[in-house]
Amino acid sequence: MKNNRFKSILIVALTALALWSLWPTYQDYSYSKQLDRQETAEDSLSFVRDHRESIEAAAEKSLKLGLDLRGGMYLVLEVDLIDLIEEKAWNKDDAFRRIIADVRSKTAGSNAQVIEVLVSEFQKRSIRMSRYFYEVRDSDEEIIVKLRKEAQDAVVRAKEIIRNRVDQYGVAEPVIQSQGARRIIVALPGVSDEDRVRKLLRGSAKLEFKLVKDNESLLEALERINSSLAENEVSKENPDLPEGDGAEGETVAEKSSNPLYDNIVVLENGRVYAPDYSREYLTGLFQRESIQKLLPKDSEIRLSARSIEGSDGAMFYDVYLLKKTPELTGGVITEAKATFGASAVQPEVTMKMNSDGTAKWARITGANIGRRIAIVLDGAVYSAPVVESKIPGGSSVINGIDGIEEAQDLEIVLKAGALPAPVRIIEERTVGPTLGADYIRSGLLSAAWGLFLVAVFMVFYYRKAGFSTDIALVLNILFVLSVLAGFSAALSLPGIAGIVLTIGMAVDANVLIFERIREEIAQGKNMRLAVDTGYSKAFSAIVDSQITTLGAGFLLYIYGIGPIQGFALTLMIGIAASLFTALVVTKVIFDLLIDRNLMTAKSFG
Amino acid sequence: MQLIHKTNVDFLKNRKIAYVISLTLMLAGVLSLFVKGLNFGIDFKGGTEVVLRFEEEVTVGEVRSVLKEAGVEGAVKRYGADRSILLQTAFEGNLNDLKSLVNNALDDRIADNPHEVLRIDSVGPSIASDLKWAALKALLGAVIAILIYVGIRFEFSFAVASVMAIFHDVFIVLGLFSIFGGLFDYMPLVIDQGVIAAFLTIAGYSINDTVVIYDRIRENIRSGKSTEYTATFNRSLNETLSRTVITSGTTLVVVLVLFFFAGPAIRGFTFAILLGIVIGTYSSLFIAAPLVLDWQKKTKRPIKLRGG
Repeated sequence: MKNNRFKSILIVALTALALWSLWPTYQDYSYSKQLDRQETAEDSLSFVRDHRESIEAAAEKSLKLGLDLRGGMYLVLEVDLIDLIEEKAWNKDDAFRRIIADVRSKTAGSNAQVIEVLVSEFQKRSIRMSRYFYEVRDSDEEIIVKLRKEAQDAVVRAKEIIRNRVDQYGVAEPVIQSQGARRIIVALPGVSDEDRVRKLLRGSAKLEFKLVKDNESLLEALERINSSLAENEVSKENPDLPEGDGAEGETVAEKSSNPLYDNIVVLENGRVYAPDYSREYLTGLFQRESIQKLLPKDSEIRLSARSIEGSDGAMFYDVYLLKKTPELTGGVITEAKATFGASAVQPEVTMKMNSDGTAKWARITGANIGRRIAIVLDGAVYSAPVVESKIPGGSSVINGIDGIEEAQDLEIVLKAGALPAPVRIIEERTVGPTLGADYIRSGLLSAAWGLFLVAVFMVFYYRKAGFSTDIALVLNILFVLSVLAGFSAALSLPGIAGIVLTIGMAVDANVLIFERIREEIAQGKNMRLAVDTGYSKAFSAIVDSQITTLGAGFLLYIYGIGPIQGFALTLMIGIAASLFTALVVTKVIFDLLIDRNLMTAKSFG
Repeated sequence: MQLIHKTNVDFLKNRKIAYVISLTLMLAGVLSLFVKGLNFGIDFKGGTEVVLRFEEEVTVGEVRSVLKEAGVEGAVKRYGADRSILLQTAFEGNLNDLKSLVNNALDDRIADNPHEVLRIDSVGPSIASDLKWAALKALLGAVIAILIYVGIRFEFSFAVASVMAIFHDVFIVLGLFSIFGGLFDYMPLVIDQGVIAAFLTIAGYSINDTVVIYDRIRENIRSGKSTEYTATFNRSLNETLSRTVITSGTTLVVVLVLFFFAGPAIRGFTFAILLGIVIGTYSSLFIAAPLVLDWQKKTKRPIKLRGG
C-alpha cells in the first residue's frame, strides 16, 4: 500500500506540525502556572528574570485569546472627513455651508464615500467645485482626484498616529486596522483604564499658540451676545416657531432677560468664569455661527481645560477671548516631555520646536512682551502665560494639567502628532476580565461536553469505526487550534462556538461514509470492497455539502465584523480540517485494520 | 447498533400537507414580523448596554428603581441566570459618565451587595445601519453562490428548490424569533451580530443536508432505468434517512450543550442554530426534494443531471 504510506506520513507530519505550532501555547500556560506557584513577589520576579526570553517567546507565539475572553476594549473610530474638506475649502459662503450640511446628514448613517456624496451635491446644484477648492482653473475632475487623495491620506495618517499613540501608551498586541473608507478599528486587549484610552484616541492633539485679546473686548462681546440671545428669545415666543433644540432649548425655557449671564459669572474685577454646569452649553454656544459674528473680527471665545474651585466648592472654568488665527501650531513641535514644574508639584509638559518654529517663536514672543499667549490644545486653553521676554531657544511649556498621568498622555499625543481630522468613537465594547474568565470557563466546558457526548455516541453506534471517528475528531480540533495559533488569529467566544459546531459537522462526513459502508456490507460485499466503495460513493456528497457550508462561512468572514469573523474563521478551518480527517485519516485507519484482519462487518456496529 | 434500518416511508405522498404546514408557519412568522417586529439589539439600532453582576441575589425592580432615581433612562432586565443585570439605554456620549453614574448610584443605594461592571457596549447609529446592509449582502451573496454551485453540480430546478428551502428555513426561524422575542428572560432572542451569523450558518446547514439527499437522487436516477421519479425520490430519501437523522442528532446534541452551558452571550445564537437544524432537516426531507419532483411533474421534462 504505497499510497497509504504516503498518507500515513502526511498525517504524522501534519499532526507533528500542529503540535509544534501549539507548543508555545502549552509553554505559555505552564509558565503562568509556575508563576502562580511562586510564593513571594521576589521569587516571581527572579523566576521571570531567569526565564525572560523563553517566556516572551512563548507568549508571542501562543494561541491568542480574543478580547471577549481576556477582557479589553474594542473601538471603532470614524475620521471626520467632512471636517477635513471644510478645512480645505476657502471662500466659504452660505451655499457652501448648505452643501456641507447636506453631505453631513447624508453620510451620517453609513460608511458611505464622503467625496462621492459631496461631488453629487455639487453637481445637483451645478456649482463648479473650483469655486471653493484649490485653483480656480482646476476642472472638477482634477479637484475630485485631489480631494480623494487628501481623504485617503488623512485616514492613513490618522491610523498611523493612532498606532503611535497606542504603542506609546503600552498595550500588548493591539490591533489597529482600517475598515471601509473612513473607519479605524482599534482592539486593545487587557486595557482597564477606559476613560484614559478614550481621551488618548479621540483627541486631535491640535496644538495652537494664540494671542489673548484684552479683557475689555471680551466683556463687550459678552454684552452683545447676551442682548442678541435675549432678543432671539422674544422672537422665539412666537408659537409658530418650533422649540429650540437641545442646548438652545434650555435657555429658551428659562425666558430670562439675561440668558447669557445666567450661565456665566463676571466678577467685579472683570474676570469671567464659566461654572461647571453650563460648560457644555457655553462651548456649544460659542461655536455657533450667529454668535461668532458678534465677536470682534478674527476672534473666538474658549474655555480653560482645567477648572478651579470657587469658595463654595463649585468648579469654574476661565473664559478667554482669543485671536482666531494661531500664531504658531503644533506642527513645529519635535519633542515633548512630561515632568514636574519648578514647584515640583505641578505636572507640566515641556516642548522643543524645530528651527523654523524656533525662529517664529522668538519673533512672536519678542513682539508680544507683556501680552498673554494662550496654549490651546483641541480647543481648550491649557494655560495663558504673560510673555515676559523673548524666547530664543524654541522651548515652551504646557501647564494647567490635572495630574502626571494626563501630562504623560499629553506627551504621547504631542509626540505622535496631530490628527489630520477629528476622530469620533462610533462603537465601543468593553469586556471586564471577570466576564472574560467566565466566558472561557463556560466555552471550554461546553466544548468539552459536546466532544465527549459525540465521541461516546459514535463508539456506541459505530463500534470500532466510531472509535476511528473519535481519533479524527481530536485531530480536527488540534488542527483548528494550531492553524489559529499559527496565523496568530485570536480565539473568541464565537470562535469556540464555531469549533463546537465543527465537531457536529465533522461527524457528518463520517456518518455519510459509515452509512454507505453499512449499505455495501448489507449487499454482501467483502470488507475491503465495502470500505472502498463506501468512501468513493460518499465522496461527492461530502464534497458538495461541505463546499456549500464552506462558502457560507467564507461570506460570513467577508461581510462579518469583529466577533462574527472569528466564528466564520474557525468554521472554515474546521470544515477544511474535517474534510481531511474524514476522507484521509479514517480511511488510513480502516486500511491498516483490514490489513491486519481486525475489521469485520461487526466493526461498523 | 442501528437506529433506522431499511425504511420505506412515503415522504412524497403527503408533501401537500408539508407544504401547508410550512406555509402556515411562514405566514404566522411574517404576520408576527409585521405586527410585533423583531427584538433588535444595539448592534442594529444603536445605543448602550451595560452588564452588571452582583455578589448576591438582587431583584430587577430594586436595581431599576435605584437607576431611575439616579437619572439613568432605559430598560433593566435580568441577564442570564447568575445575579447579572442588563441595562439597555439610548445613552450616547461619554461612557465614563454613564459608568460612574451607575456605579455611584448602586454603591450608594445597594451598598451591602457589591456589584461589578462586566461589560459595556456602545454602538453608534451609523454602525448599526452598516451592519444591516452587511448582513443582507452576506445572505444574498450566499443565495446567489448556492444557486450557481448547485446549478452547476446538479440542475437548475435543484438549485431553485434548495434556495427556496433556505428561505423557508431562515424565514421560519426569523418568524419564531419574532413570536418568542422578549417572552423569556432566559433567552430574550435579541437580534444581534451573533444571530445574523447563526442565520447564515442555518443557510449553510440547510443546503448541506439538502445536497446530501440530492446527491443520492442523482446517483439513483443515473443507475436506475426507470423514469418513475416519485419512486426514485422516495427511495433516495429513505436510503439517506439514517444519515440525516444521525447527523442532525449529533449536531443537535452539541448545540444543545452550547445552549445550556455556554452562557447568555451566545444563547440567542445557539437557539437560532438549534431551530435551524430542526427546521433545516425537516425542509430537506419534506420541502427541497419534493419541490424538485413537483417542478419535474409540471414541466414534464426529464431530469438531466451534471456532476457526479
